[in-house]
Formats: sequence, C-alpha cells, structure tokens
Amino acid sequence: MTTTLDPPAVEAAVAPLEPRRPLKRSQGRRMKDAREKHPFVFWGLMLFSIFLFVPVVWLLVTSLKSLDQLGDSSVWFPIPPHPENYADATSIRPFWLYAGNSLFLATVSGALTTLTSALVGYGFARLPGRGKRPLFAVLIALMMMPPIITLIPTYLLFARVGLVGTYWPWVLWGLSGAPYLIFLFRQFFASLPRELEEAARLDGCSHFRIWWQIFLPLSKPILVTAFVLSFNGVWGDFVAPTLLLDSDRMTLAQAVATQFVNAAGFPINNLIAAAAILYVIPVVVLFFVAQRAYVSGFAGSGLKG
Amino acid sequence: MALSPATSGLTSTDGASRATPRRSVRGRRWKSLPFYAFISPWLIGTILLTAFPLIYAFGVSLTNWDGISPRFRFLGLENYTAVFSSPETWSSLGRTFLLAGIVVPVTIVGGLLLAIALNQKVRFRTGFRLLVYLPAIIPPVAATLAWKILFDRDNGGFNAFLRLFGIPAVDWLSQGIVFWVLVALLLWGIGAGVLINLAALQDVPIELREAARLDGANSFGVFWHVTLPAISPVLLFQVITTTIAVLQTFIPVLLLSPATAASSVTAVPEENQVFMISVYAQYFAYQRYGYASAMLWIFFALILLLTFVFFKFSGRVVFYAVDPSAQEGRR
Repeated sequence: MTTTLDPPAVEAAVAPLEPRRPLKRSQGRRMKDAREKHPFVFWGLMLFSIFLFVPVVWLLVTSLKSLDQLGDSSVWFPIPPHPENYADATSIRPFWLYAGNSLFLATVSGALTTLTSALVGYGFARLPGRGKRPLFAVLIALMMMPPIITLIPTYLLFARVGLVGTYWPWVLWGLSGAPYLIFLFRQFFASLPRELEEAARLDGCSHFRIWWQIFLPLSKPILVTAFVLSFNGVWGDFVAPTLLLDSDRMTLAQAVATQFVNAAGFPINNLIAAAAILYVIPVVVLFFVAQRAYVSGFAGSGLKG
Repeated sequence: MALSPATSGLTSTDGASRATPRRSVRGRRWKSLPFYAFISPWLIGTILLTAFPLIYAFGVSLTNWDGISPRFRFLGLENYTAVFSSPETWSSLGRTFLLAGIVVPVTIVGGLLLAIALNQKVRFRTGFRLLVYLPAIIPPVAATLAWKILFDRDNGGFNAFLRLFGIPAVDWLSQGIVFWVLVALLLWGIGAGVLINLAALQDVPIELREAARLDGANSFGVFWHVTLPAISPVLLFQVITTTIAVLQTFIPVLLLSPATAASSVTAVPEENQVFMISVYAQYFAYQRYGYASAMLWIFFALILLLTFVFFKFSGRVVFYAVDPSAQEGRR
C-alpha cells in the first residue's frame, strides 16, 4: 500500500469540505451579501469552473456517441445519444471480471492497511519506547518517499521469490501499513485523554485489548477515512498491477487504459469514455459517502498536528 | 481480521504488562517491548519492502546485469559515471524539473487564491468547493484518459471548438505541444490543496486579524502579516508533497502517449520523457538493469536532498514537531 498513496490527494481527502464555523446568518441574507460584495470572485470562479468541468463533460458526451458521431467533429452533443455504449463496454471485454479483481484487491489491501496502520499508530501515540523519536522521524521521512522508486526494485525481488502474478505483494504491503495513515492514527490517538487506558491498565488489561476494545471503537471516523484512502489508492493504481499481475488478474484501471482498442490497435474512444466513467463512479461515491466521517474525524484531531 | 502481527502484539504485551508495574531494573529494560511489538509490522515491512529493495537496487546498480542472464560483471561506479555523462539524463532531468517548476508554483499559489476565494461569501460556495475538489479524487488513469480524449485530434472537444473559428485540426498529443497538455492535466488536480488551505484559513485566529486591522493594516496587510505566516506550515507541506509528486510523474505521461494498444514507454514523445519514464524504459524496454538502477538511486538521492533542503529552509515551521508521548516516555 505504501506504493500507492499520493500525498497531496491524501491530504485533500482528509480535509473537510465545509467550514467548521458556519455563518449564523440566514441563507437569503448571505446570498444577497454575496451578490453585493464579491461579484468578481463569483465570476472568476465560474470561469475557472469551465477548466474543471470541460474534461468531465466531454468524457460524458463522448461516452454517448456512436462511432459515426465520434468521427464527425461538428457533433457536439450526440442526437440520438447512445447509452448502449455502456453495455458494450462491459460486454466486449470481461469488464466485471476486471472490476471484481480491483474490488477484491482494494478491499483486502484497504482493510489490512487500515488495521495495521491503526496498530502502529497506537504504538507511536501511547506506548513508551527507546528509539521512538528517531523511528518517528523515519516514518515522517517515508511519508515523503516517492513510492515508484521502491516499486521497481521490489518487483525485481518479488519476481525472484515467485510472488509476481499473485496477490501476496498487496497482502505484504497491507500488513506493513502506510506511513501517512500511521501518522493520521497516531495524531488521533495522541489527542485522546490518558485516563482512557489508565483504569484499564490497573485492571490488568493488555495493551492489545486496550487498543482493540477502547481505542479502535473511538476511532471509527479515522478508520473509515483510512480505509477509503487506501481503497482508492489501490483502485486507482496502474503501475504496480502492470508490473506484478498477469493478464487474467488484470485490474479495472489497467483494463480501461489498455483493453478498448480495435483490431488495428487504435483506441475506441467512446467505449473508453464509458468504461472510464463506470470505473470512476465507485471512487466518487465512496468519497461522498465517507465525507461525513472525514469532517467529524478531523474536526478534533488537528490536520496539522 | 486474522492479523498475525496483531496476535504477536497480544502475546508480547501480556509479558510486558506483568513487568511494568514493578518498576524494577528488569521492568525498565522490558518497558520498550510493547512499543516494539505494536510497531513491528511497520518496522519489519519497512525493512523488507523499502530498505531492502533500495539496497538491492544499489547492488544491481554496481553491475551490468540485464535482468535475465545469470551472468553479470561488477562495474563499480561505472554506471553512475555513465548516467551522469549521458545527455539523455540531463535532458530528462531538465524536463522533469521544468514540469515541477511550472506545476508546483501554479498549484501552490493558485490553490491558495482559490481557497481565499472559496472562503468568501460567494454564491454556490459549497457547489464550487465540491467542483474544485472533484478532479483531485479522480484516479490518474481516468483523469489522463479524459484529457487524452479532450485533446484527441479527431474526436477531441478542443479541436471541435477551434473548428468554430475555422482553425484546422491540431495534433495536440504529438511532439511539441503534448508537454502543455501534460501541464494542464497536472494542474487539473489543483483542488487537492484547496481544501487543506481552506481548513488552515479557518484556523487562523480571528482575534489576530482584528488586532492587525485595529493597528491600521489594510486587507492585504492583514493577509501578508497575519494570515500567510499562520498558514505557512500547511503551504510548506504542500510544496514538498507536490514537488515530489510532480517529479515522479509517470502514469499521466505513459497514458498520454499516442501509442495505440498497450501503452509503451518507448512511444512517449521526446517532449514528455520525464525522468521516471527514462528509468522505466531503461529497465523494461532496454533491459539495462544496472544502468537503470543507478538512475533510480541518483533520483532517490536527489529527492532526499530536496526534501532535506525544504525542511532546513523552513526552519521552525514543521507541522508535527511536537511529540508529547515521546516526552512522556523520557520522564
């Protein structure tokens, strides 16, 4: 998993969308104010939105075009639209097999990464230990480490021990946790009061039970956040599966990028567009479903430590 | 979940919990045990899956191994001198840093401006926030394909738009212009930083800003002397992470290449041959594992150095400087 998390995207995903201190004025008043105070800001944002919107809109439009409409550059919006492209995209290639591969890989990897990161994060937050400071510094440094640098030599090693073509690399990555998520859990656990485990310790509770029965249930929002982040990381990854998996275990990311070509090897853009949209939907849905968890998870823990 | 490291944590912590309350010399010696038990999955994983591969790559970089044949020769640092004396190295490094030199400042400054705009009372503010954020969560494969289709010569929306003005179709994805398509694609994810900035802006104490205003500062003065310093740690963190992310750009370049079927590294237009593309091609297209490993190590050292410089340069503004539990541990 360490190979797939992209720090800026990760940072962004954990920041709340809504302001923490909402304005206490009525909606109508706010709108009126806005119109009077910041017309330039509003129109500037509208202009900028075109840049953000156009690629997505064009992808949607392209996904609804027939091959004839695709070739005719005077067609802006296809009339009639061809939603059957979506059916074609899922039938001319074993789309659902690829989706299943991605789902399996991302779920297993996400669950393992989340649990391990929570465990390690607890160690860094709550347990004394010699050499903790330098180890924490190593953790921080690894957050900055470009994953692709270790990926290629890791692949060479995995090839030597016969792990290429299996899901084991993802299990191993999952079991070692992700530095960024460890940091996230550490920040959260460190913010909880000491009394939480003191009573349990006096009762003779083991650290592991304290972690499992007291700290984990309290960290549900972080667990959700961490799972969504690592799930999306694996779902979006292209390089690791390309290096490590053979074609029958191909992930959806690989399939969308490479499988929709005609006999001459040219990309079939309307099917690529349809497949790409189907591929993106789970990520977007998952993000918005988990949105509430992000906000509550980060309101208290302090993104900046 | 059947986590083997978790269960190992269970057994070893049990042993330690009996030792701790006594506070004997022996107890103190074992005090670190639960900590190491808890972090062992990460520690072992890092040694096996990060440190070891890097050392292995260094070993390979000292040889002329081709990745297949069992025979190879020890070359010492020959690969490194070869990498440094190759003009291709310098051109791809130059391109990579040019890309970062454009994308990073625009992302940071633009992201900050956007956050300030989205912190104002504007119409559809929540809608804008979601919209700005959307491209940042789209996986790189899908984002790249969307841009590739938008700039396609025959099917692309951009050429269709230009046709309205009678401009003939341009091949955006070929040599020459594709670099700018890449820049635009990378800037599309600008929203990633906007939300962190927004959170940071809302954390700036309002009393500070009011005090500055009472002292006669105008809006810009307040921003420059109060807001900017307050959010600087967040900006620094973004500068570092964005720089590293842009320097290792790989998937977008690979998938933007006009190669038809399975995108191949060798089909990437020269304009877009960033460093990781060169490394990948040396490994898997030319089978020069030793040489490619040397490139990888040079890149690794460069990024390490860059991160170090950023941190030194920033001095005090490190967002995780405080480690309360470590201090408690020393007591």
